[in-house]
Amino acid sequence: MFLDAISNIFMNSGFAALTWQHCVMLLVACILIYLAIVKKFEPLLLLPIAFGLLLANLPLAGLMSGPQEGSTDPGGLLYYLYQGVKLGIYPSLIFLGIGTMTDFGPLIARPSSLFMGAGAQFGIGAAFIIATALGFTPHEAGSIGIIGGADGPTAIYLTTRLAPDLLPAIAIAAYSYMALIPLIQPPIMRLLTTKKEREIKMEQLREVSKLEKIVFPIAVTIFCVLLLPSVAPLIGMLMLGNLFKESGVVERLSDTAQNALINIVTIFLGVTVGATANAERFLQLETLMIIGLGLLAFMFSTVGGLIIGKVMCWLSGGKINPLIGSAGVSAVPMAARVSQVEGQKANPSNYLLMHAMGPNVAGVIGSAVAAGVLLALFG
Amino acid sequence: MSVGESLVVGLFLVVLVFSVLAILYGMIMLLAAVLRPKASKKAVENNKDSAVGATSMDMDLVQTSFGEVKLKDVDERTAAMIMAIISDESQIPLSELRFKSIKAVE
Repeated sequence: MFLDAISNIFMNSGFAALTWQHCVMLLVACILIYLAIVKKFEPLLLLPIAFGLLLANLPLAGLMSGPQEGSTDPGGLLYYLYQGVKLGIYPSLIFLGIGTMTDFGPLIARPSSLFMGAGAQFGIGAAFIIATALGFTPHEAGSIGIIGGADGPTAIYLTTRLAPDLLPAIAIAAYSYMALIPLIQPPIMRLLTTKKEREIKMEQLREVSKLEKIVFPIAVTIFCVLLLPSVAPLIGMLMLGNLFKESGVVERLSDTAQNALINIVTIFLGVTVGATANAERFLQLETLMIIGLGLLAFMFSTVGGLIIGKVMCWLSGGKINPLIGSAGVSAVPMAARVSQVEGQKANPSNYLLMHAMGPNVAGVIGSAVAAGVLLALFG
Repeated sequence: MSVGESLVVGLFLVVLVFSVLAILYGMIMLLAAVLRPKASKKAVENNKDSAVGATSMDMDLVQTSFGEVKLKDVDERTAAMIMAIISDESQIPLSELRFKSIKAVE
């Protein structure tokens, strides 16, 4: 009798339902957890994503199962939390938090940074073309291309609307490449710039008045949302957060948005995005292609930003260091830090960080605009 | 979608992003022209005057991303470290800190 009971327990447990695909996914989850904890690759997002991936691949747990008709089972916890991703709520709330942490001062002080932010969206177009040539549908190609924007929330927002089936692969690729920026960008930066260009010291930025900083988010919201209504949740929340910060009259809201709120939403977003990566959906050749195309998109975006940086260097008579162009690939502030590090390697007295923050925040706007264009075309 | 069509879409995407950000560029320039207080322009000019005066006082003048810092008996590397430490300890971003001068105290 006891043996039967033990046998029954085993047969009804997840162990009996484990397949080799589940085991591979559990291994992938463990590798990602290792990268997040030991290598510190974007741990704030990679750790919840990896654990969500682990949870979703433990058979019979049913955490992502929806409510069944005629059943008393209400559905899994992560199914309900995932609605925030599906409805585009979490990416927008994360943008609210990012807005409260972003200083648009360097961009306002040197608005020409916007062109570097635009150039760094080149990878989105390039990856779109290559993905289409490889047989992806335009919706899927657009979602893959947006990885080149190096903006996690924007990539997730667009993918949930254009190609939700590709969400896990795209989210994991986007965040992994953002974490790998210090490895991916420097060789391209050194390849496309001369030592003389990298040594350029830039003039100090002008001071930006508080009034300019307050009017900026309002003006950008009105213009961008009128032009591309589909991007209103992202741009609107980003600029609302920034207005909280710059107005200085809602310190409590600003504090909540940039700390408690963004942390809570990051947990929900990360775990549920990871949980969409079940073995059946993830272990396909398509996933490897997406990861490869994402890397290409990222590299093309870096090249685009650097080329515009070089053009601006030439137009300004050598006053602009082209290294700051690569920071146009969003990924605030990691990409700007890479520009700073490379600039200092060429000239130890070079301080490019604040100059690179201009293209960096311009890249955030640029990738949101690119997402809006793709939504207008294929949404 | 054929490769030719995707090329057109890809180019259209890049051109449109450039156009939108170019309009934003114009908008920021316009806002700066309208909103930038004349007082701040004067302040910048005053700062420049004082900076010129400082060089004649046998001090190094280091131009950084966040302004000009007068260094006296301090090398640039040490000054950069001091500024980074102050920013880290005070939890105030470097962009919001203004250093006027750094001098070695015996």
